[in-house]
Amino acid sequence: MGDSTARGGTFFPARTGDPAPGGPPQRTRRPRPRPGSVATHLVLSLGALVMIFPFCWQLLTALKSLAEVSRVPPTFLPEDWKWSSFDEVFTALPFREMLTNSAINTVGRTAGQLVFCSLAAYAFARMRFKGRDLLFGLFLSVLMVPSSLLVLPQYDIIQSFGLLNSAPALFLPGMFSAFGTFLLRQAFLTLPRELEEAARIDGAGSFRIFWSVMLPLIRPALAALAVITAMAAWNDLLWPLIVNTDPEAMPISAGLTSLEGQYETNYPVMMAGSLIASLPMLLVYVFLQRHFVQSVASSGVKS
Amino acid sequence: MSVFPATAAAKAADRRAARAAGTGPAGRDQRTAYLFVAPLGLGFALFYFWPMIQTFYFSFTEFGPFGGHTWVGGDNYARVVKDVTVWQALGNTVLYCGIGLTALPLALVVASLLNRRGLRAVPLYRALYFVPFVTLPVAVGLVWNWLYNGDFGLLNEVLGWFGVDRRYWVSDPSTAVFAIGAVMVWSTTGYYLILFMAGIKGIPQDYYEAAELDGAGAVRRFFTITLPLLSPTIFFASVICMIQSLQVFDLIYIMMGEKNPAVGDTQSVVGLFYKWAFMENAQGAAAALAFLLMLLIAALTYLQFRLQKRWVHYG
Amino acid sequence: MRRRTLLCSGLAAASAPVLAACSDQGGGSESGGRTTLSYGMWDPAQVPGMKKIIAAFERRNPGISVRIELTPWATYWTTLKTSMRGGTAPDVFWMNAVNFQLYAAHGVLEPLSEHIRRDGTPLDRHPRQLVRLYAYRGTQYGIPKDFDTIGLWYNKDLFDKARVPYPDTTWTWDDLRDAAAELTNPRERVHGYAAEMQRQIVIYPAVFGAGGYVLRDGRSGFGDERTIEGLRFLTDMIDRGWSPPQSAMVENIGRVRFWSEKAAMVNDLSAMAGQMYAVPALKDHGGVTVLPKGRERATVIHGLANVVSAKSDKKTAAWKFVHFMAGREAAVIQAESGVTISSYAGTQDAWISSMPEFDLRHFIDMKEYGAPYPSSKNTAVWENLQYPLLGAAFSGKGGVEEAARTLGEQMDRALKEERDT
Repeated sequence: MGDSTARGGTFFPARTGDPAPGGPPQRTRRPRPRPGSVATHLVLSLGALVMIFPFCWQLLTALKSLAEVSRVPPTFLPEDWKWSSFDEVFTALPFREMLTNSAINTVGRTAGQLVFCSLAAYAFARMRFKGRDLLFGLFLSVLMVPSSLLVLPQYDIIQSFGLLNSAPALFLPGMFSAFGTFLLRQAFLTLPRELEEAARIDGAGSFRIFWSVMLPLIRPALAALAVITAMAAWNDLLWPLIVNTDPEAMPISAGLTSLEGQYETNYPVMMAGSLIASLPMLLVYVFLQRHFVQSVASSGVKS
Repeated sequence: MSVFPATAAAKAADRRAARAAGTGPAGRDQRTAYLFVAPLGLGFALFYFWPMIQTFYFSFTEFGPFGGHTWVGGDNYARVVKDVTVWQALGNTVLYCGIGLTALPLALVVASLLNRRGLRAVPLYRALYFVPFVTLPVAVGLVWNWLYNGDFGLLNEVLGWFGVDRRYWVSDPSTAVFAIGAVMVWSTTGYYLILFMAGIKGIPQDYYEAAELDGAGAVRRFFTITLPLLSPTIFFASVICMIQSLQVFDLIYIMMGEKNPAVGDTQSVVGLFYKWAFMENAQGAAAALAFLLMLLIAALTYLQFRLQKRWVHYG
Repeated sequence: MRRRTLLCSGLAAASAPVLAACSDQGGGSESGGRTTLSYGMWDPAQVPGMKKIIAAFERRNPGISVRIELTPWATYWTTLKTSMRGGTAPDVFWMNAVNFQLYAAHGVLEPLSEHIRRDGTPLDRHPRQLVRLYAYRGTQYGIPKDFDTIGLWYNKDLFDKARVPYPDTTWTWDDLRDAAAELTNPRERVHGYAAEMQRQIVIYPAVFGAGGYVLRDGRSGFGDERTIEGLRFLTDMIDRGWSPPQSAMVENIGRVRFWSEKAAMVNDLSAMAGQMYAVPALKDHGGVTVLPKGRERATVIHGLANVVSAKSDKKTAAWKFVHFMAGREAAVIQAESGVTISSYAGTQDAWISSMPEFDLRHFIDMKEYGAPYPSSKNTAVWENLQYPLLGAAFSGKGGVEEAARTLGEQMDRALKEERDT
């Protein structure tokens, strides 16, 4: 985590202590601890422990036997580290296919939103056409409607395409987003007019201007949208639960619920399954942490 | 097109007319704009606007178990309004919203602690606090169910050291909502933390330095500088929090089984919708419920934007 | 249809699974060429066995192939209903007692009586209670494929520790209660018995054992004195602390308590034998016997049936498959796969000998007095009343008699509504 964490400090670049007034900058790398700093660290680490410990316990439980997890008082470390719960997860469910489905779903939705939302956002931000504001208002109204409440007709549509239990069923409705359009429109609005005009004088067409001049300039917003969408897609449960009921076509989130149905309260197996299911997104987070942080921050700025 | 070639002003008017009519070079621009918007527009039409109309239509019908539906007028709406479980679910949703909001002050406190000058390891803390938010909600629910487990769960064990009696946290109707709510707070605090840290970063450091010179303590600085200047962000966070509490489904779905005695006390509106639509074959009533919830969310959002004028401080 | 193909070919480049979905739709019409049947089921554990049966069937019927459509239990019935609506239901699928009459009454199942008569399908080789379970108004719609009875599983190690003799076929409810009291050890959090709020494996057997009933001539039995006696037998063990209350059983179900050696005795299905066998401790010192006798000897018998969709356009092939599944050859294959007891008489030895450590013969013997799983047209409607109403009594809060009477009244109302529609 080290590298990305260090670079992630965009909001609060670690300050190496304030130089004493009039004096030379301190040479030591460790600043003198300010009063109360120890207490602050204590509180903060206690909070961090609360955030992280459940995952440690999840791993430890997955490595214990069923008999051991139901011992009172509980053991902390497994008596013998047994990995068989992980094997059991893979034999009980087509977990490999499920992980693949989740990946396809995530990539499909993210790619779709990046393409469709950026095109529309560009038109809304930089072009003038009849009915623009009305149309934009109409699109924004989708923001108000929780997509979970439209699943009945959406299911019928997917069924009429003959796409139930297929990968496109997972990502089709999620490729279109009002939030994404809004976010990217805001980004396009900040760009100076002169850029387009210069490109137009050079003889570039609308699409060329969009693609090679404007789009690269809103890369941070695109990255933010990609992260937000990817996370939502990976975590989505209700929709896949409805359209893809065949275990081989389910994403991992829905698969995990059917693991619960099958193993009821067999906790070591369920902990192993939930660990595997959440690991991919956590790994992506570790490597792209900066983008995650920026995406959240940008979702809050100016809205 | 104009017959008389005339003044520049007339020409401009001409161009405007041409643009409106969709011809000439400006008209091509219009067509391009529509082409840019079209893919998204079609997607919205197919997957959002049409379903919205259909949901509205469905809400006046009843589905046969194996197909076909009949017009039942306002029966579904009557059922929704009369059904006690709907009101219970609405009450639960309000409760989730209230519990969920406690993540805001928590995140605010952590954010201002992290804002202390000269504090080390800030990115590391931020990274750790954000992990629960990145984790699959279904997995989060399973892990917490295990921690909450009445017989063999760690929570009871730890509380036992402090003399607290063991409980079946998620199957006791008096504690289940709070148990689930606590998990919601746990998993969203990191999100609000980052929002607030970004907001605090936007506050000029001079304000704090000036206040410090005036002898204002940390607490005072928090209340006189951080809180008011952060109010737009706090407002945004509370809107997000409300919308998410209204839609909470995953956690409850995974943490509550059908035999759980606390099912009724924890069900959310979306959970009830899922149950009606996909477990009890009552799609018509579910559609009516969905439609009413959409109206409720629209009304609440409108209300919040009206209220923000009262307390949100835009600098 | 044309649009569908276009859409599919357009999206095919994006992902492979679509291709499969598209080609499925094109596959198999009855006239000429190969017929592909879809077979709907929910239990992943039975897939290997079913695949073997399908292979045997395909060898005998070269023009027909069968593809399994697996849907997890949690969504099986809703998926089936919506797929019936959309016309994509499987040609042949698994049916249970809870849902059978509803499907038969709505005409979505193909009547099989004619076919059975013509082809001489050996219905008489299957338990008569089960065959009757899948007939509606004198017409047979389904043919049993397997059956389940409920036995008493026990942990010999815990019995030895408490110096209690193992349960056997002579046990009565009094023996069970005495043993449960002896075996309960609060310090180790061990309970003697798991009186779980579970209709098929705990509640119904107790009701029948007390001489009560659940449903008779369209009337609910929950207000009946004997039924209440059966329920009280269970809740009493909870009140005395010999069984965990339901609130605890939600978080750790009886079966898992038994696996982790925290419950000395549980009721469980014959179909769970394989899973019990997979737990090393139980393979070593687990045992099984018949349910102890109350006023009467009782257990619940239930089995799944194969049915043909009335909306299928490949009914001839579908019937051939169902007919084959009802025969001895398929039954033997199913028994050898060791997951469930085949319902075909005389093929159960393979299943019994697949787990020699357990005395599985008891499950077959109980078939004689097993009461069929109670069902009506809208079974699910009145079943859904049970857990919310009985929950408090099963959580140690008392009031079982009143709860049962209320349940009886509400169930009667539901049954009346069922008759009226």
